[in-house]
Amino acid sequence: MVVSGTSPQEREFRSWLLERLGQYLRRSVEEIDTGVPFAEYGLDSVAALSLFGDIEDDFGLYLEPTVAWDYPTVDSLARHLAAECVRRVTGPLGEER
Amino acid sequence: MLKHTTCVGTAGPDAPEARVAALEALFGDPGDPDNPFGEAAVLAADERAELIPEAEAALARFGLNQEFIPLELGGRLDRIDTLARVLRPVFRRDASLGLGYGVTSFLAAVAVWVAGTPQQRRWTADLLLSGGRLAIAYHELAHGNDFVRNEFAAVPQQDDGNGGGTAGFRLDGRKEVINNATRAEAMVLFSRTSPAPGSRSHSVLLIDKSRLPRDRFSHLPRYETTGVRGCPIGGFDFRDCPVPADALVGAAGQGVELALRSFQITRSAVPGMVLGGGDTALRTVVGFAVERQLYGRSVFDIPHVRATVAGAFVDLLICDSLALVGTRAVHLLPEQTSVYAAVVKYLVPKLLQEATYDLSIVLGANFYVRDGAYGVFQKHVRDLPMTSLGHAGTAACQATIIPQLPRLARNSWLSGGEEPPQALFRIHDDLPPLDTGRLTLAASDDGLAASLVATTAWLDSYGSGDPVGTLREMARALVDELRALRERCLDMRPQDRTALASPEAYALADRYALVLAGAACLGVWRAQRHDEPGFIAGPVWTTAALARICKRLGLPVPERAAEETAGLLPEVLERFHDRRSYDLYDTPLTGVTHGG
Amino acid sequence: MVTALPPRTAAAPTTVPVTGLRHRSWALAARFDRELGDPCDEATVFSYEHAIRLDRTETFPDEICAALNTWGLAHYYVPAAYGGALDDFQDLQMLIRTAARRDLTTTIAHGKTFLGSLPVWVGADAATAARLGGLVRAGARVSLGLTERTHGSDIMAGELTAEPQGRGYRLNGEKWLINNATRGRLITLLARTSPAGGPRGFSALLVDKDDLPAQAWQCLPKVHTHGVRGADISGITLHDALVGPQTLIGTEGSGAELMMKSLQVSRALCPSLSLGAADQALRLAVRFSRGRELYGRHLADLPLTRRTLAEGFADLLLCEAVSTVAVRSIHALPSELSVTAAAVKYLVPSLVDGVIDRLGSLLGARSVLGQQYAHGMYQKIARDHRIVGIFDGNSLVNQYALVSQFRSLARAYLGPDDHRPGLAMLFDLERTLPRFAAEGLALVSRYGSSILGTLPGSVARLSAMADRAPALAGAARRAQQLGDAASELHRRMRRVAPTVADASAECFTEARRYALCLAGAACLGLWLHSNEAAEAECSSGELWRDGLWLHASLRRILARLGMQDGQDGQDAAADDGVFDELYERLVAHYQQGFLFSLLPCPIAEGPPSC
Repeated sequence: MVVSGTSPQEREFRSWLLERLGQYLRRSVEEIDTGVPFAEYGLDSVAALSLFGDIEDDFGLYLEPTVAWDYPTVDSLARHLAAECVRRVTGPLGEER
Repeated sequence: MLKHTTCVGTAGPDAPEARVAALEALFGDPGDPDNPFGEAAVLAADERAELIPEAEAALARFGLNQEFIPLELGGRLDRIDTLARVLRPVFRRDASLGLGYGVTSFLAAVAVWVAGTPQQRRWTADLLLSGGRLAIAYHELAHGNDFVRNEFAAVPQQDDGNGGGTAGFRLDGRKEVINNATRAEAMVLFSRTSPAPGSRSHSVLLIDKSRLPRDRFSHLPRYETTGVRGCPIGGFDFRDCPVPADALVGAAGQGVELALRSFQITRSAVPGMVLGGGDTALRTVVGFAVERQLYGRSVFDIPHVRATVAGAFVDLLICDSLALVGTRAVHLLPEQTSVYAAVVKYLVPKLLQEATYDLSIVLGANFYVRDGAYGVFQKHVRDLPMTSLGHAGTAACQATIIPQLPRLARNSWLSGGEEPPQALFRIHDDLPPLDTGRLTLAASDDGLAASLVATTAWLDSYGSGDPVGTLREMARALVDELRALRERCLDMRPQDRTALASPEAYALADRYALVLAGAACLGVWRAQRHDEPGFIAGPVWTTAALARICKRLGLPVPERAAEETAGLLPEVLERFHDRRSYDLYDTPLTGVTHGG
Repeated sequence: MVTALPPRTAAAPTTVPVTGLRHRSWALAARFDRELGDPCDEATVFSYEHAIRLDRTETFPDEICAALNTWGLAHYYVPAAYGGALDDFQDLQMLIRTAARRDLTTTIAHGKTFLGSLPVWVGADAATAARLGGLVRAGARVSLGLTERTHGSDIMAGELTAEPQGRGYRLNGEKWLINNATRGRLITLLARTSPAGGPRGFSALLVDKDDLPAQAWQCLPKVHTHGVRGADISGITLHDALVGPQTLIGTEGSGAELMMKSLQVSRALCPSLSLGAADQALRLAVRFSRGRELYGRHLADLPLTRRTLAEGFADLLLCEAVSTVAVRSIHALPSELSVTAAAVKYLVPSLVDGVIDRLGSLLGARSVLGQQYAHGMYQKIARDHRIVGIFDGNSLVNQYALVSQFRSLARAYLGPDDHRPGLAMLFDLERTLPRFAAEGLALVSRYGSSILGTLPGSVARLSAMADRAPALAGAARRAQQLGDAASELHRRMRRVAPTVADASAECFTEARRYALCLAGAACLGLWLHSNEAAEAECSSGELWRDGLWLHASLRRILARLGMQDGQDGQDAAADDGVFDELYERLVAHYQQGFLFSLLPCPIAEGPPSC
């Protein structure tokens, strides 16, 4: 599901997240509604904490472990990640390690 | 001696199935809160530290004591495997009741059946037939399992006539931690009867308490115990107390031998009874897992829970296979049971205890609550260790196994061991009568180990392909293990055959016991495989069982074998919902079925 | 009898003379024990006999708790910043351990106030924390209300609600299986503040029952439990209970995060209870085996008995080593506590359950008698101790906490370690620890486990030492084997399919192996960094000499990782020698009246008499 009006970066994060969740939850990507909280699909809160590490690995984004708690759906997390990318590029230096 | 010429039939109201069904019906639905023998009532009685009086009365009406008395003396005891099977429902409901009503009477009586005079046998049978009890006093607290060094003394008295014979004994000392001590009418007591060192200085006495002078004999206060709290456990205090000469069972000085022969029967039988408690523990946890939700799913859907439950079920089947072979060996291979009985009594409680620990993790905090829907579980946790104490304790069994290993390694394993009859493994086949005269103190051969080698060879010729391929792989690994054991047992140092045995010798005994458990499972599967297609006839459980055993031995387990364990879950659920027992017999149980 | 003495305040300088390695927390524990009085003396308030008597009647240990308050134990539940004496968690670890060796029920009943207060220390503003600090020091009980009747360890399924009401909240619902729910004056609740729940849908509230009208709350009946029978394990129901805004700990929606961080600290400390229980069990087993004759010898003369006792001692020491490293890491490595605490909270109680079970078979019938042997202490330890593996996050919860981090743990294991903090401070028992900073806690560890990360280097260092000191060769070989096992494990962990939410049963087995490897790394780190000072100590130095306890601990860890007994002749012979020697150390500790510990700590009863 591609929502119009989103940035390419956000779409990239969304499809990456869908693929990751599909692996985690052993579901096909089509089954996952991007507006429904991860928990509804059985991604418990402890498991959700491990998402940040994957994001760091694949995108080099240094985030709080609770990022998937604060943005608990594919849509909201993708939007946040895209915004973070923008902020890191334009924001003050020294933010990343 | 327990010897009769015909086998009893296996049909009719006296058939084992009918007796088990009658006991099940007697106990009623365990989950019914109004059932006087239901789990709630059992727990409440345990809290009061008493046996449910009505349950004892009901067992008396059923004639449970007859199970302990040989056929020719008016009882129903003809097969040791059947004895374990019939007592299993009692232990499934309440181990306290099993021990407290009765099983200790059997443990005591065996010595009389084995070596008693006709009068002693008749008297003992009559006592039990009339609802009486026998206490068994084989050890005392200060000496525990070391009954041979036991200091309790029965001093033979010289006849004051001129015959030079004995005029009975004078008993002095205490016998502590004795089940039913106060309410039993009589006791079978093991005592030193000669100050000389060695194994010919002890005797077994059958003592009628009503013939003891009151000022020389008294009862010790009741002991509180953590497990089987309902059992009235007490003790005896003899103060230079005269006992008549006709109390002697067997010949004077024969006590150690008689005890060791009796143990071959009791150590084989008791684990098969105690398995009933494991059934209840597993059933309780399965009930919890299917009813509860955790992290948004049924607890039963959590992979770790499924693996624990399936593993516990496999352990129960391993235990039952060992118990079956042990009890049937008493009839079929009496010359070999000295080691098998000890292996069964050593390994079954150990496996049950470990499975129980794993199951307790699934219950989480619910394990800790003494009442409510899962309260029976903690009772089982407390009761189980009580069945591994005293003369049948772990150390005593290990001490029986270890000294026999070098001889078996030399004479039998992988060299000349004779394959046992298939009947050893057949769940429902008849058995020849028990001939206790053939029970010997040291096993001459090891048919069970020979069956492992033979079955593995047979699997080799079975043709390839899973799942038998996986089974064959593990069977071969067990044969290799037996070969390695053989090398190490041949090298065993002399002092390892004594109490000074090294920890390594104990480790060998443990590995040997596990190899025999694997042999028992393979044998049971092979012997049943032509039966109507059913669970036990299929290779799934055997594969899972061998995988469990190989894992314990630290042997590599084929990856495919782990999948077999998952294949057991439908069976676990089916037996839970249909209320059928978690053992080889797959017995219907009373209670409300859970639909599906 | 307990003598009332003012507790050592945080500001007071340590008065313990330092010769060799004499750790101030161990010295504090020795003083605590001495001042509590001889536990064998039935006139002592906190005696073995008294504890058993209360257990038999399922009576709450009021009098003993009062004695502990008189001594000032509650001051150690309050950080120095809020007026208490807690500035080093090792003090608390040793105090809990010391009390637990007398009685787990009392220790848990009293210590629960610390668990209940911890979320406040971790997440509340200074004024709230100072107010609570005052109450706790004055003896108020605080309980921790996390669990509910049908949700068990799944705290985010909680149904107790806190709806906004004015500036505060209206509370409705029930908490069950709560220690001190009835006797506690305050309770820290995890409440649902957003109907949808979820990780941001819960908040932590500190509720003072004294502030609530009588009709707003009701305590549930005492639950009859398998062990800790005297404890107040019950529950509480709240009906439209109105509480003010000041009850909120931290910010709304932060409750789950706060609880998870607090639990990291408490889970690092829980093993102290196990260490105390294991000490008691081992002491009873040694006493029994030395007093008993069998086959014309003492039971303790039989090789199997000695080995069983020595292995029990080794297990206790390895548990102590890893627990100590975990407690030190509250100060020195809080960012990785999610891993370290989960590992010890899982591993130590399960190992000690095993020790108690194994030693129990040595005692035979005495291990199950209610009164006739040593007042029936053994069966009570066995029952009581089972709760340590259950509460405050059970085994599965802690194993899962590890499993959920497997991929990052595997990734970080052999990765560059430049981002890792220096760990000399963590492992060197002589070094003073930095102040605990709750801000350093993290829900998951970003760089895996630095403790396990030290393993390859520690193995190499011990090997190098063994080249110069052949007596260390056996320990070095075992260390090498552990290093190999850990590498293998991490290789497998990396391959674990990324289906965290559906973790396989095998993952839980791997989590056990992971915890064992981490324990081994902690043992190695501790020995390498503290050996020089510890060996110089006269009464326990011999445990450290030639890597004695280290070798035995590694052997026990390897056995549990699946290494077979006695299949490698030379090493097995070396192990035999190590356990023989360790048995001698065990007996020496027993006869001298010392805690079974890596560091010297005399116990109140002195050399054995009772």
